[in-house]
Amino acid sequence: MSLWQIALNNLNRRRTKMLFLMLGLMVGVATVVGLLTIVLAMRLELGDRIDEFGANIVIVPRSEGATLNYGGIHVPGVAFNVQRLTEADLPQIDTIEERPAINIISPKIVGSVETGGQRVMLVGVETKREFTQKPWFSLQEQAGLAPGEKTGSLALLDIPTDGLVLGSSAAQALRVRAGEELALNGRPFQVFGILSQTGGREDGLLYANLPVVQQLLGRPGEFSMIEISAYCNFCPVEEIAAQLAAVLPNARVMPLRQAALFREETIDRFESFGFALSGVILLVAALMVLTTMLSSVSERTREIGIFRAIGFRRAHVMKIIFLEAGMVSFLGGIFGYLLGSISAQLAGPFLVQIDLAQVTGMPLRTDLILPAVLLSMLLAVAASAYPALKAAKLDPAEALRFI
Amino acid sequence: MAEVMIAMQDLKKKYGSAGEEVYALRGVTLDIDKGESVAVMGHSGSGKSTLLSIIGSLNPPSSGTIEIDGINIYALSQEKRADFRREYLGFVFQQFQLIPYLTAIENVMLPLTTANRSNKQKREMAEQVLCRVGLAGKMNRLPNALSGGEQERVAIARAIVNAPPVILADEPTGNLDTKTGEEIMALFRKLNEDGLTILMVTHNPDNTRFMGRTIVLKDGLLCTDKAEILQLAAASRGKR
Repeated sequence: MSLWQIALNNLNRRRTKMLFLMLGLMVGVATVVGLLTIVLAMRLELGDRIDEFGANIVIVPRSEGATLNYGGIHVPGVAFNVQRLTEADLPQIDTIEERPAINIISPKIVGSVETGGQRVMLVGVETKREFTQKPWFSLQEQAGLAPGEKTGSLALLDIPTDGLVLGSSAAQALRVRAGEELALNGRPFQVFGILSQTGGREDGLLYANLPVVQQLLGRPGEFSMIEISAYCNFCPVEEIAAQLAAVLPNARVMPLRQAALFREETIDRFESFGFALSGVILLVAALMVLTTMLSSVSERTREIGIFRAIGFRRAHVMKIIFLEAGMVSFLGGIFGYLLGSISAQLAGPFLVQIDLAQVTGMPLRTDLILPAVLLSMLLAVAASAYPALKAAKLDPAEALRFI
Repeated sequence: MAEVMIAMQDLKKKYGSAGEEVYALRGVTLDIDKGESVAVMGHSGSGKSTLLSIIGSLNPPSSGTIEIDGINIYALSQEKRADFRREYLGFVFQQFQLIPYLTAIENVMLPLTTANRSNKQKREMAEQVLCRVGLAGKMNRLPNALSGGEQERVAIARAIVNAPPVILADEPTGNLDTKTGEEIMALFRKLNEDGLTILMVTHNPDNTRFMGRTIVLKDGLLCTDKAEILQLAAASRGKR
């Protein structure tokens, strides 16, 4: 006979009550595991989506001296010791270890051109990459549309070689509409489209195809900057930037802290919500354990009195209670983990419109098994502390009604 | 001269708060020698069970001292007293008090739970004592599958499995018929002959013939009046 056997025998005797206790713990753990699995998957997917939304790394030529300002980023202009960023640098990006984390590479050249007696900023881009990287851009006007026809998605449109896309403020200032002609440095361009207002600096810019602008500015094969969108779920943006800096000694590589911070803050809020909800559910599960074990101790007053009378120490009595809670919670943790993981797989697509297998790459999060079981056991043992103490403090004489 | 096993000096026990106190024991002084068997009799409320619980180290006296085998039991901590009970005392409770979900042998093994022995050794010890009390063939039965007498034998086996020098029994034949009761008392006499010191609370005067000495409690004190003792015996017979 051992304390384990006494605990096991008691569980067997009170099967129904202990089964309900196990179910309660199971549901609590399942909710936590399911929530965590979904939140983690959301973190990955949301992280990816945010990472795809705009650039989070900017590469500019290394230079010293005064620079032009574009969107808050220093652009080499009138300066000395200016390195060049060229098409020959692009293959170097492919050599870094974290290349798989890089989603979009968008080189661009920026320069000032003359039109109608005014100086305007012209940006040469690979249009599909640029507008995929910046999905907030949309066209309010597009050349060649029939009346009533909607504008297309910029990322998918083929902009003609001599096509121009104007920011809303630039179009207003230059008094042009989509489909009209505009000469830049004497070369004619067609206004392919006019962007909807963004409220940012882009409203004042003109966009054209990269090779055309390179030629127009007399800087063939050269870039003013390269904007990169990288996925940062598994590798911090600073690490990717460091790897790029190592292969581009002629450039300055800058992670955009604001983008990274926004990403982290957004995801952290989801996680905090998940943890808060899980905490509430676990508290309810703990209360269930407490009341069930208290009831069990009350029912066993005489039995505990016998144990104490025949020489069990208080610690022995407490150990019996903890062993019972431990055994039930161990099973509750295992089954809770399974229920939570399976529920997340089934409910995830409906609740948050994500396919967890796609995001996590595996059907079950095996890394959550041990934490789930430990959580269940710690919860049950902690909640059983008061009942165990109460059992240990039972007066054996009173329990056996000697008095 | 016999060695004293249990030495009680002016034991008092009171319950209730100041001004509303009730005395269960009013000053009991008594020595029980090693190997002695003593029956404790008295009316309901005379303090018999209280005396037994005090001797059993379960109920500290309000005043007075008690030593068992020279050990002042209430000078020990609660945990040490639990250890003491395990080594020195065997309890036979009123109404058997077997654990209903444990078999006979498992009930007997209970006092060995915390012992530093293998399960095999514990089982062997339990089997030996069950044979000793005549229950060799019913070790694996649950209490509800045993008769009253058999349950009482299991309770006695549990009390002696650790080979304690003292057995405390509270109305061991209270729920048994006459014949079975006599069998149980014969068993107690046998245990006493084997050297155990036995203190037994009983209402049944017939049981006293199996015991070496009888003491009577009245209103929390040892009664020495023979007339009172005889009256008590007659009253007990009348109830039966």
